[in-house]
Amino acid sequence: MPSEIITLQLGQCGNQIGFEFWKRLCLEHGISPSGVLEDFANDGMDRKDVFFYQADDDHYIPRAVLLDLEPRVINTIMGSAYSKLYNPENVYLSKHGGGAGNNWASGYSQGDKLQEEVFDIIDREADGSDSLEGFILCHSIAGGTGSGMGSFIMERLADRYPKKLIQTYSVFPNQDEISDVVVQPYNSMLTLRRLTTAADSVVVLDNTALNRIACDRLHIQNPSFSQINNLVSTIMSVSTTTLRYPSYMNNNLIGLMAPLIPTPQLHFLMTGYTPLTSDSDVNSQQTVNVRKTTVLDVMRRLLQPKNMMVSTGPDKSNHHCYISILNIIQGEVDPSQVHKSLQRIRDRKMAQFIPWGPTSIQVALSRSSPYVQSNHRVSGLMLANHTSICSLFERTLNQYDKLRKRGAFLDQFRREDIFKDDLSELDESREIVDCLVQEYAAATREDYMQFSVKRGAAGAGDAKSEDGRSGTSGGV
Amino acid sequence: MSQENSGADVAGLTSRLADLLSDLCLTIEGKQPPQVQDETLARVAKCITSNTGSPYHSISLSEHECVQKTMKILRARGEVDGIDTAEHFYELYKKLLQIKLDPQVRHSLMGYLLSMADKQTANGEAGLLSARSDNLSQALGNRTASSANLTAGVGSYATGTSSHNGNGLSERDAVDGAGCGGYSYDPTQSSPGLGKKTLPNYVEMQAQQKFDEQQEIVLNAIYSFTGVQGKYLKKDVVTGRFKLDPNSSESLTAGQAGMLLRLSELGYYYDRVTKFADVSTGFNAMGCMGQALMSKLKEELSEFHGQVSELHDEMNLYRKAQMNWNAGCGGEPSDKHELTLFKLLAWYIKPLYRLQWLTKIADACQMKKGGELASTVYDLLDNGHSMVNKLVVDILTAICGPLVRMISKWMLEGGINDLHSEFFVESLNDVGADRLWHDKFRLRLPMLPKFVPMDLADKILKTGKCINFLREICEMQGLMKGRDELKKVMDNKVDQFFSYVPDTSWHAAVETCYQQTSKHVLDIMVGPHKLLDHLQGMRRYLLLGQGDFVSILIENMKDELERNGGDIYAHDLSSMLDAALRCTNAQYDDPDILNHLDIVVQRPYIGDKGWDIISLKYIVQGPLATMLEPTMPTYKLLFKPLWRMKHMEFVLSMKIWQEQMGNAKTLRPMNSEIGKASHRLNLFTSEIMHFIHQMQYYVLFEVIECNWVELQKKMQQATALDDILEAHEKFLQTIKVGCFVGNETDMEHSLETVYENIICLETWQSNFYKECFQEMTARQELAKEVQKSEKQGVYGLTSELTLQRDQEKKIFAQKIETACHGLEVIASAYEKAVSNFLMALNSSHDPNLQLFGTRLDFNEYYKKRDTNLSKPLTFEHMRMSNVFSLNNRNSPNSRFVIHAPTTKE
Repeated sequence: MPSEIITLQLGQCGNQIGFEFWKRLCLEHGISPSGVLEDFANDGMDRKDVFFYQADDDHYIPRAVLLDLEPRVINTIMGSAYSKLYNPENVYLSKHGGGAGNNWASGYSQGDKLQEEVFDIIDREADGSDSLEGFILCHSIAGGTGSGMGSFIMERLADRYPKKLIQTYSVFPNQDEISDVVVQPYNSMLTLRRLTTAADSVVVLDNTALNRIACDRLHIQNPSFSQINNLVSTIMSVSTTTLRYPSYMNNNLIGLMAPLIPTPQLHFLMTGYTPLTSDSDVNSQQTVNVRKTTVLDVMRRLLQPKNMMVSTGPDKSNHHCYISILNIIQGEVDPSQVHKSLQRIRDRKMAQFIPWGPTSIQVALSRSSPYVQSNHRVSGLMLANHTSICSLFERTLNQYDKLRKRGAFLDQFRREDIFKDDLSELDESREIVDCLVQEYAAATREDYMQFSVKRGAAGAGDAKSEDGRSGTSGGV
Repeated sequence: MSQENSGADVAGLTSRLADLLSDLCLTIEGKQPPQVQDETLARVAKCITSNTGSPYHSISLSEHECVQKTMKILRARGEVDGIDTAEHFYELYKKLLQIKLDPQVRHSLMGYLLSMADKQTANGEAGLLSARSDNLSQALGNRTASSANLTAGVGSYATGTSSHNGNGLSERDAVDGAGCGGYSYDPTQSSPGLGKKTLPNYVEMQAQQKFDEQQEIVLNAIYSFTGVQGKYLKKDVVTGRFKLDPNSSESLTAGQAGMLLRLSELGYYYDRVTKFADVSTGFNAMGCMGQALMSKLKEELSEFHGQVSELHDEMNLYRKAQMNWNAGCGGEPSDKHELTLFKLLAWYIKPLYRLQWLTKIADACQMKKGGELASTVYDLLDNGHSMVNKLVVDILTAICGPLVRMISKWMLEGGINDLHSEFFVESLNDVGADRLWHDKFRLRLPMLPKFVPMDLADKILKTGKCINFLREICEMQGLMKGRDELKKVMDNKVDQFFSYVPDTSWHAAVETCYQQTSKHVLDIMVGPHKLLDHLQGMRRYLLLGQGDFVSILIENMKDELERNGGDIYAHDLSSMLDAALRCTNAQYDDPDILNHLDIVVQRPYIGDKGWDIISLKYIVQGPLATMLEPTMPTYKLLFKPLWRMKHMEFVLSMKIWQEQMGNAKTLRPMNSEIGKASHRLNLFTSEIMHFIHQMQYYVLFEVIECNWVELQKKMQQATALDDILEAHEKFLQTIKVGCFVGNETDMEHSLETVYENIICLETWQSNFYKECFQEMTARQELAKEVQKSEKQGVYGLTSELTLQRDQEKKIFAQKIETACHGLEVIASAYEKAVSNFLMALNSSHDPNLQLFGTRLDFNEYYKKRDTNLSKPLTFEHMRMSNVFSLNNRNSPNSRFVIHAPTTKE
């Protein structure tokens, strides 16, 4: 089947959001938890085979690979109503079940050790598809399995399937609360490096922002994981909606990604969603809905930072700008309203765009599932490449630097193979991430075109860190 | 009509009178043989009904005296069969009083009865008396000049028919002869030979001569009414008008001459109308409707003839009376009852007016036919004169008769029976059934009556077309429901055809017919023939609305598409098409629709790739073909740019972009050397990507999708098939504009340049990466070599090898440098094309294209670069655009200038 996408769920977080994602997809496609098509689901407008395939008995099986080093989450999934949905051969739990102990290095090493078994599954799954388009990886960057093993698998995937896209849904840790994982900055930094070099596109799911949205917008005092994951699954399902409900454009992953990502490195995407409501809000909706929601309303709200799923902090310099935007709009939309709205946004300069190249807001009107009732007439998701995302990386850099300066908690890293000799891996990662931040900063300026010269020096820093430093200092 | 009505009245009156009179006569004359009795009765009846004039002068006695005297005579006879005849007579007289009868007529009747009674008594004087009674009836009859119509009624009783050629008169004479016996008159002499001098043995007298002369003049005038020349009036050969004969006109007084001339005008118009009513003259209107007009004219003429012959009758009667008087018997004739020129003058005004109008109408209708004829007559409608208005309405009704029947035949049976090409619907015989819907039938505009509005004509055309379509293409023979009723209404309500307000039953019938038929066709096309599904299918597959299908099809065919045109075979492709249909959402589409989809390979020209010659085709058959075939070239035309766009998107994302992303990972170690070039490449790609995606979005969404939504709305609301087809046609037109097909060559050209540059970029990129990978492999080999020798403990890197490596490195660096220049060339060509394109868009008159221009430059990137884009778009500014100078590679402004190579090396 065409343009298939294989989903890889790694670690506790990855499996949780993956689980929510599949639940959502089943609901939207009218597939029962056991994989059987519901009687009412005979619409025929959706394309299930991108994410599912059919077994001999015609029931739908997700193209998903579930990987974890500890059994807790996967056992929960297998204990749920959806246990029959997955292909049991695609569920991989490490034998010893000890997890990665929130240690990137441990996850990475275990990934190395287990790679044969893991890639058996992935290869089989890839062979089973007619024209595989790419992989979607769900993981968090702070923990052990998702980040460490995820990083390893990403690198291998890029080697093994150089023609396939790798998209990740990466959960960034909540910066507002003190994490119980002390080595989180190290983990994040090391994962970020792989996200920069090995992935083709990264959809950043910032726990900070998700929590904030849950509290401020959905009025949930202490948002639970499932509530946050519900948000995440919405984003994941809507961002793949043009693949699943094909119409005139953006019907494959590359068509979705290519216009958003101008250079190989600038591939970190923010998301925004509107309307943000929870179940408890349904009642209050009546009072809020004082008028018809128009396309312009949706687009305008999507440009508001409060609806963004990435918390970038206040933009002090006020020079950050959009590199590209894709709005996926669902619901009852009058097509002729779209270009009027775009015109309005342009006239009022509601969004600031890069000065070094042409760009605009792309709009994809998408059908939504007929089986899921929505309270909202129109809803929209924004996938945006915005330079302010680098503030997230800067924050990670700062935290990393603080920790690294003290040389704290490095022992558990040194135990693993990759850090056996030295900690250059950490420094290189820092360099690359720093370089990424530089590039994002440069992308706000008009002379981004000339960035290459300076970045060339920075790129050389891959090999020799001293050169890299001098290069970046020149770049700033 | 009034004539008939009054005739009926008179008939009723006559029958009542008849009974009464027969009784009266019976009373007076006693029993007679039935034949004689009838004749008497007839004479009596004639006196009564034909008379409204003044009392007969010869009856000196008053009515009452007459009655008294009659009774006295009857009384003197005594009783017959035990009945007192006098009393009986009086009773009958009283009954007669109750009948509404002109008192004068009654008077004269009584006088006549008196004389009859008297005659009965004095049998010997019969001859004289009967002659007198004849005189009476004749005199009475003469007085009918002003009420000629009454004679018809009398005729119906007495002589059966009254016709203008004098039959009535001769019969009456015969009756006289039979009834009275004493007076003989040769009927053959008087009937056709009205113009001859009557009664050979008349006394030569001055008065008589004068009288004859008078009569001659009047007769001349009457002749002239029907265009016959007489002694005084001759026709002018040139003008056709009457003029006085100089030979005989000396005897006329000036007054008479003037009156004659005036009267003769009627004859002139009579002649003209006759001419128009005659097919052989060539001045007539043509075609069936023309024939209808002519027959109407002839009808008018015969009516006129009737009137003229009445005059003749009157004249003859008077003359006869006069003759009798001259012969010394009968009452005294008076000038008052004579038919004079003055009387004729009074009489002729009405017929003249009517004939003038007839002439005017017929004149206007000369050499015209069909709708033109109807329009001409229609123009004359709305005359303030009620007679004229009625006349025109009558004529128009007559004319429209054939047309209306043609319409009903056309609308109900789809047939055209139009020998004279006067129907406003035309069937082109040399157009085949395959083009039945669009080309076979059309309106013949000159033949469209002006009182038929265009929309009505259109409806009529469409109705018949629909019926033909159903019969011939769909092979459905069923007749329309309620057809007979509609036919009745449509055939018979001719005068409603040209009513001012189209709210008559005729219009309603036409509307019903139209709606039923078009609904029927619509139902058939939308129902069994799935028209809407097919349109949707064409939109999905030919206009690339089904995105997943298109991308899979391209993916399946990508090898074929890259091949040279000559190496491509259609049969390979059709299996790929099937595969693409099977594995995308197209599989859920109706197989009926999908079967129509086919892939065609055009004949390749040198240098054509698969992309250029492979196209999708939608094959329509049967009734659908009739509907949609004319739009197929447009679809073909539209497919090309859309396909080309998809091609570009494919090259750009699947090849250029994906390669860049993949190679960026692999070539990371060489970033220091190629980073500059690849960064440039990335940004250039993203710029093109933006352009192509915006372009695609604009075309696929804003142009096609938005218009498709409109079209769908219209299709839902459509009441007739043509609504759908028209909307569809419009839809395609809009898209054609939106896809830059054939409207402004400037845009098309710029667009093509953009596309060419994309292809150039692809080639450039593959060369670039080939070099890079070559270099990288060489380095890796070297590194391996070093490792190997290190393992062996030998310092493996000879100076020779190092030198060679350095040399190669230098060559590589140079190659990259050249490649960069190559890229700049492409980039500047590209930017030039885009600027031109934007310029063309901004200066376009179409607001949608202007908006598209602003969309392409959403963040005003190009505007900042080319100041002309922001300037008011006058011709001068356009001309002075510095698009070209900006792209000069030496210009410091150019963003494509790569900074001078560092001199590090």
